[in-house]
Amino acid sequence: MKIVDQLREGDKRAAAKLISMIEDDDPGATAALAEIFPHTGKAHIVGLTGPPGVGKSSLINRLVREYRERSKKVGVVAVDPTSPFTGGAVLGDRIRMADTGSDPGVFIRSMATRGHSGGLALATFDAVKVLDAYGMDIVFVETVGAGQSEVDIASRAHTTVVVQMPQSGDSVQALKAGILEIGDIYVVNKMDLGGGDTMASNLDFMLEERQGWRPPVVQTAALDGRGTKELADALTKHYRFLKRGPLWRGREADRARKELFESMRHLLAETFSDDTAGIGFEETVGAIVARKTDPRTAARKLLKGLKLPR
Amino acid sequence: MPKKIRILIAKPGLDGHDRGAKVVARALRDAGMEVIYTGLRQTPEDIVEAAIQEDVDAIGLSSLSGAHMALLPEVVKLLRKRKAADILVAAGGIIPDEDVRKLKKAGIKAVFGPGTPLAEIVEFFRSAAQ
Repeated sequence: MKIVDQLREGDKRAAAKLISMIEDDDPGATAALAEIFPHTGKAHIVGLTGPPGVGKSSLINRLVREYRERSKKVGVVAVDPTSPFTGGAVLGDRIRMADTGSDPGVFIRSMATRGHSGGLALATFDAVKVLDAYGMDIVFVETVGAGQSEVDIASRAHTTVVVQMPQSGDSVQALKAGILEIGDIYVVNKMDLGGGDTMASNLDFMLEERQGWRPPVVQTAALDGRGTKELADALTKHYRFLKRGPLWRGREADRARKELFESMRHLLAETFSDDTAGIGFEETVGAIVARKTDPRTAARKLLKGLKLPR
Repeated sequence: MPKKIRILIAKPGLDGHDRGAKVVARALRDAGMEVIYTGLRQTPEDIVEAAIQEDVDAIGLSSLSGAHMALLPEVVKLLRKRKAADILVAAGGIIPDEDVRKLKKAGIKAVFGPGTPLAEIVEFFRSAAQ
């Protein structure tokens, strides 16, 4: 495909257009993704998650500059929520990343969560693949870590960074399910606020070694850049640990398993939301409303005669 | 899935008055569009770079500093240079009538002064994306 050739030649616009095709579920996206897939798998994918306002974008801005100084090309996919009522979104993560300006070695893309039928993670990581094939050495994925889908995205990265800040709840907050289990690296940002030392040592006390990796707690202040270097070093260390250790193959298989499953679910969802498949979806809805059948039985029946879209 | 309309709202130049830009961003969001808001003090280069990376259909520039003649046509020029002239540019803010004509001549598709109904701006961007 022409767009893939352009992307491989370093055409920024082609990369941006391809991400839009993925987001819009354009029919050409599947073929393009198939073509770029052999060129992926080279970038270090880092997921950053944490509550809104904790400083994820500012931290990424610092990291982008740090990695540029280390002569690495950097991609960013920043995910913000779509309004469930209007379908619109205001994507503001670029505000905090403004000083990367027009550096040719940086590509930042804002994504809205939209109503992705096959799961948000699928579209997000397809966008990551575009940046990977485009030649980025490291790609950051930023999500608001408030719900299951965001945790899912973060955990799909090679390295997951959980960002916290001081004065945001006692040590029991950190015990809540998910937080302590998903991070490979923990960051206490906004150290300039005070109270960060307590937060960091509380976190550190509760973290345990998992499969040979003890998650470090890195203290940062994105405001003045404190701790950026240490965080970048921790990221590199974790990537090396994975790549050289016994976990790599298993993790890759996990990721492939999830993506395959999600792609199947996406195909199914597409089939159903697009009633041209002629499987009698709407008629079945009517039958359920009329109590002539129930959803579980009807689902089995519909899936039996299923024809997938081309 | 129908193609989503994506709009970049940016403030070139040095004034810090972004209320207008935010009101417009919100109106476009409520009309179901995806608005990438890049914040204050952007150079024309930054704006064009962001527009390309974000693959937007159009750019809305807010200017209240009086520097519009220096900054706005530059955005159009840079878009042409980057072969992205299909991305339309509109402006809003305090812009004298005699400058409006000059800006339009320089390739700014629309200029929205104070008091423009939001519906009119939404409609402009909707048709710009077609």
